[in-house]
Amino acid sequence: MSGSTSNQTFSRQRTDVVRPLGIGFVILAMTPLVMLPLASIFYYGFNKGPIHFWEAVSAPAALYSLRLSLMTSSVATVCNVLFGIIAAYVMYKYRFKGSSALMIIISLPTAIPTAVAGVALLLVWGRSGIFGKLLEYTDYQVMFTTAAIILANIFVTFPLAFGVIKPALDNLDPSYEAAAETMGATRWQTFCYVVLPSLRGAIITGALLTFARSIGEFGSTIMVSGNKAKTMTAPLYIYAKFNEAEAESATAIAAVLAVISFVVFSLILLTRNRLDK
Amino acid sequence: MAQAVLNKLPEAEEYSEPVSEPNNALVIRGLNKRFGSETVLDGLSFSIAEGESLVLLGPSGSGKSTTLRLIAGLETPDDGEIFLHGRHVEGLRARERNIGVIFQNYALFPRMTVADNIGFGLKIRGKKKAEREAKIEELLSMIGMTEHRDKYPSQISGGQQQRVAIARALAYAPELLLFDESFSALDPQTRTGLRREIRALLQKLKIPALFVTHDQEEAMELGDYIAILNKGRLEQIGTPQEIYNDPQSEFVATFLGAANVVEVCRNDGLVALDCRQCPGVSSEDKAAQMPPTVEREKIIFRPEDVVLTTAPALAEHQRHLGHGVVVDVNFTGATEFVRVKLLSLNQFGYITNANCQLIGDNSCDLIIKVLRTKWEAQRMPLKPKDKVGVWLRDHKTLSNYEN
Repeated sequence: MSGSTSNQTFSRQRTDVVRPLGIGFVILAMTPLVMLPLASIFYYGFNKGPIHFWEAVSAPAALYSLRLSLMTSSVATVCNVLFGIIAAYVMYKYRFKGSSALMIIISLPTAIPTAVAGVALLLVWGRSGIFGKLLEYTDYQVMFTTAAIILANIFVTFPLAFGVIKPALDNLDPSYEAAAETMGATRWQTFCYVVLPSLRGAIITGALLTFARSIGEFGSTIMVSGNKAKTMTAPLYIYAKFNEAEAESATAIAAVLAVISFVVFSLILLTRNRLDK
Repeated sequence: MAQAVLNKLPEAEEYSEPVSEPNNALVIRGLNKRFGSETVLDGLSFSIAEGESLVLLGPSGSGKSTTLRLIAGLETPDDGEIFLHGRHVEGLRARERNIGVIFQNYALFPRMTVADNIGFGLKIRGKKKAEREAKIEELLSMIGMTEHRDKYPSQISGGQQQRVAIARALAYAPELLLFDESFSALDPQTRTGLRREIRALLQKLKIPALFVTHDQEEAMELGDYIAILNKGRLEQIGTPQEIYNDPQSEFVATFLGAANVVEVCRNDGLVALDCRQCPGVSSEDKAAQMPPTVEREKIIFRPEDVVLTTAPALAEHQRHLGHGVVVDVNFTGATEFVRVKLLSLNQFGYITNANCQLIGDNSCDLIIKVLRTKWEAQRMPLKPKDKVGVWLRDHKTLSNYEN
């Protein structure tokens, strides 16, 4: 017995070189790639003191861009979550010809480069596009307005909520619905009282993911916004300020966007742990 | 009375009969169901009387769960009729049938408290909050879970979940309760206790119930009547005693309880062990040797119906099956299991003289199971390789069986 004890002591004393080396490598690699860039946003944002930061953020154009980003992202989130719930339920409930093809098409938009998404939207909604031509009869055009930004956000984040809700539904035991039905519930009552509450965690996570993705959307927005002050979202504002050599204004807004993203991200982690037990 | 009804579709004139007797809670007639090319139910008919319980017992794939889902309205039959208290229900949706279902995993709604789960059926029916609360309180105290009312299903044990599932079904006063393998997920001790409770509860409330199970012990304990299902057909229906003591087929005999099945040939009143299944004797050989007047039969007897002796004679009402050799002895406490290899078959059936004609090889490798009480085992201890006489207290002869 004493032999095995001394053996254990020996192995504990032996220094494992791989462990510190491995951890060190991960941190070292992440420092220039991730950590420094993140830290520098806040460093340069507050570089000239909080007063300067506040001035940069509270500039009317800056505030407008932040508000526009929050608004368009919220609308896109509501639309995509609603669509995601309905689509996930339809795909979960019914198997039909081409249902797997439809699944792939729903999931496609995230795989498409955002600039391509912007061009695609222009082709449909622009003056020569199919919807654009129809809109010629009215005085209203969608492209280069707030509506265009919302459309772009919807397109780019389309499958995110669906992608979270569908697996949650697939994990839902079908006997819950059967039980509700035998107890006298209509399909609608079953959906509201039984299915939806079970998807609570997935719906919140899906919404946060969609929101986080759309608030930072740049590639498609720049294509459909038409470079106007009225359609300048926060990411576009940052880009414009850098081009105008007003780096301080740009970094201040960048810091605000980063904070929003952090908050949303921690909420996602929190919901996953809390609600999806 | 649960009646053994026609195995096939009723004839034309039987359709003109009254649809169901008024005291029948559930009547099933000629139920057919196919999934693709597979026939799951093949002309199933049975009934449950008011206030009585019936257990559908069968192996997996026998169609028992499908039957339950058809009655509940979760599946549509291809053919056949279902009457609930005399009213046609096969065209109704599940929610219109007013049936309580207790699912295998109980299917308690995970985001609702115990109280909300129990009140769900009443809420759906638009009952006022005060009325709902009163009913919930009543049911909670009935199942002894008043202090758990605000817990979520994941916070209570399996046995408690099942009680809640039953209370949830009882809340809206269903016309019939269906239990779908509702005890299989519980540990044996909880299971036995709960079964007793539920039996008492059903008898008190006089609610007709249908249980679906593959567990024979459960079937014996829960059912006023047992219906044995095999490959979508009703094999036999009757009280547990009837089914156990008077099985109408080999399937029933071997599925409900242990049974020995011995194939014999009867020729002009003489009976002999049929050794077709013995190694070394092919069935062609046997068929060739068999005289045309030979009828094949099966003798079925329970392990506890066998008496082993070392003495040559026994009381008259016991029949001598033959001689054997003890293979092994397994003592389990109250009883002892003995496996005996039959060496030869003596006169059997209704002949008592020794003029027995044995066909073919008379030393078969046929092993039978014998159950002896502790007292029998003490009186005559046995060990492997002991030679014994094999006698039967009781047996059943099946002729015209299907192979």
